[in-house]
Amino acid sequence: MFSDLKRIGLEACVLLAFGVLIGLSLNHKLLLDAFSGHLVSQPRQTAQESVPIALPMPALIDDVQQVAATGGLIVDARNPELYAAGHIDGAVSLPLVEIDAALPDFVARIDKDRTLVIYCSGFGCPDSFDLAVLLIESGYKDVRVFEGGFPEWRDAGLPVAGDVQ
Amino acid sequence: MKRFFYHLARLTLALVFVYAGAVKMQDVVAFAGHVAAYQILPYAMNYLVASTLPYVEFLAGVMLLLNARVRPALLVIGAMTLVFMAALVSVLLRGMEIDCGCFDPGGGQDVTAGVALLRDIALMALVVLVWWLRSRLTAREE
Repeated sequence: MFSDLKRIGLEACVLLAFGVLIGLSLNHKLLLDAFSGHLVSQPRQTAQESVPIALPMPALIDDVQQVAATGGLIVDARNPELYAAGHIDGAVSLPLVEIDAALPDFVARIDKDRTLVIYCSGFGCPDSFDLAVLLIESGYKDVRVFEGGFPEWRDAGLPVAGDVQ
Repeated sequence: MKRFFYHLARLTLALVFVYAGAVKMQDVVAFAGHVAAYQILPYAMNYLVASTLPYVEFLAGVMLLLNARVRPALLVIGAMTLVFMAALVSVLLRGMEIDCGCFDPGGGQDVTAGVALLRDIALMALVVLVWWLRSRLTAREE
């Protein structure tokens, strides 16, 4: 009797697992979208203050200077070695490669209303954009990407800091 | 006579779950919306439930329909029905007015939690009945 129940329970689990597997394999794309947050939010969240997931705005080199002059913050998305070797004067380091460890501290220190400009190693470098999206998702309201990055800034003769040769 | 009732109850239960699974498979996203309306699970989990539950319902229903692995299928169906009942009770306790999302997710007809709960109680009774009759029938054969 007991072994009978055990067998039935086991077979029930197998049946359940089969159903779940079929469902997962048929809907894997939808699930990936849902778990990576690409789908629109559920109704519950619309009741609260709705923060649409926006894309970061591009910033030109003049905008970067203006933002820095008006209390905004310049954020370096490159790895710490590159930051140490040379960065835009006044920029803080928030390396995308160490984002899991660094983000909570950053969020705790920097006000969500502050304008942020993110840069990395120039055109073709995706880190600044990816970091900007993460920061928007973390609640920052005005996040921009300086696509020219460190090379354009340096070549324009603007102030840099770090161990620049 | 017992055999007749066994098959009648088994087929009824089988058709209910095959149908419930099949219509929800057609529109997993809409079903996820119904699951989200219960406000029990975190956002992405609603999609996980919506993309697996219909297939489990369908599969368990098919097993019942085929008269194969009847008690394991009943166990799965019974467990699911218990979960549905718990979810519906929580909806009733919170005084929410939502469609139960039990069957056609795109359908216009709303079924309130109270009605759905009564229906689930009936389903649960069928599960117990089929299990009991099945045990009696196999006991005699062995």
